[in-house]
Amino acid sequence: MIHTIMIALVQTDLVKLNAESMMLIGSAIAFLVTLKWVRSREMREKYAVLWLAVGTLLLFCGLFPKTLMRFADQAQLSYPSAVLFVALAIIYMFSLSVSLSLSRQHRITTRLLQEIAILKYDLEKLREQSKPQSDAESV
Amino acid sequence: MNVLIVIPAYNEQDAIAHTLTTLAFLGPEYEVVVVNDGSGDETEHVVEKYQAEHPTQKVHLVNLPRNRGIGAAVQTGYLFAFQKERFEYVIQFDGDGQHDSTAIEGLVKACQERNLDLCVGSRFLEGGLDNFRSTATRRLGIRFFAALISWLSGVKVTDPTSGFRCCGPRAWRVFAESYPDDYPEPEALYWCARNHLKIGEIPVRMFERVGGVSSIKLTRGLYYMLKVTLAILIDRIRTREKEQ
Repeated sequence: MIHTIMIALVQTDLVKLNAESMMLIGSAIAFLVTLKWVRSREMREKYAVLWLAVGTLLLFCGLFPKTLMRFADQAQLSYPSAVLFVALAIIYMFSLSVSLSLSRQHRITTRLLQEIAILKYDLEKLREQSKPQSDAESV
Repeated sequence: MNVLIVIPAYNEQDAIAHTLTTLAFLGPEYEVVVVNDGSGDETEHVVEKYQAEHPTQKVHLVNLPRNRGIGAAVQTGYLFAFQKERFEYVIQFDGDGQHDSTAIEGLVKACQERNLDLCVGSRFLEGGLDNFRSTATRRLGIRFFAALISWLSGVKVTDPTSGFRCCGPRAWRVFAESYPDDYPEPEALYWCARNHLKIGEIPVRMFERVGGVSSIKLTRGLYYMLKVTLAILIDRIRTREKEQ
């Protein structure tokens, strides 16, 4: 849907598709998606803060492209390369942290499920053992 | 000496009762734990019905609340053995009727007599049989893993993907703590070899599955090869257990 809106905006010449506008659109998407996921509790606030920071950075770069140009000059990078470099570095860092977090969570969830399954088994056994006793008590 | 037979079961309603029946002849020192891996079918009820109809056979049922894959299901069995503290050997046995229950005692005997930490039931040793099942591609994959494990560890194995195996306490106590998630057999075998656990094989027959579908579909074959190869290579650069 977002893709369709972007194409429509570009076709109607409302938005000139250059690096600045792409960053502005990107930041808007980052804000919207993050807020949507936090609202529905699909994303923890801890991660939302990071993604909102990314959105803010994109917004800043979109609104003040000269800052990025200055950074590019100092780092001896051409402007598009600088944009690409910053964007890729951010995406790479976040993807790595997400992979790590997911792996850790997967291990924990699996162990919890296993413990629950064995505890349920033990509970069932205890119930079976106490059943004849409680039946006898009631008589 | 108590032995626990671990049967991971995911949607095995058609085969599980038959599999349990084939284990009924074993002595009282053999107990069975069916780990129902969040099946969506009637596996749980079929096992409960079997338990009610065969009260003398020691069959335990552990139900994982969600499907976590073969590795987690098998590991639940090892964890069960660890927590119950009465088992010496733990056997991994498929729930689909492919494994030959008459070879179970042979696996345990091999572990005892040859002092093995892991004994694998091999289809490819002389006396083993797997004519019906393995396609040429699958056999090629098995040979590849056998060569890879032998090359990296110096331990000669013929059937690293076989899920029919007997573990001694040195192996299963570690597996209760840490076990590969998916396609675990070659990786677990390599872990044992690399950590100087004693590994052996005996020939076994395997039958056609009674019901259900294989956990490795053809389309996932390539992923399987890549994932397991990577896991083994990464394990190669890990610190050995004793050195940690």
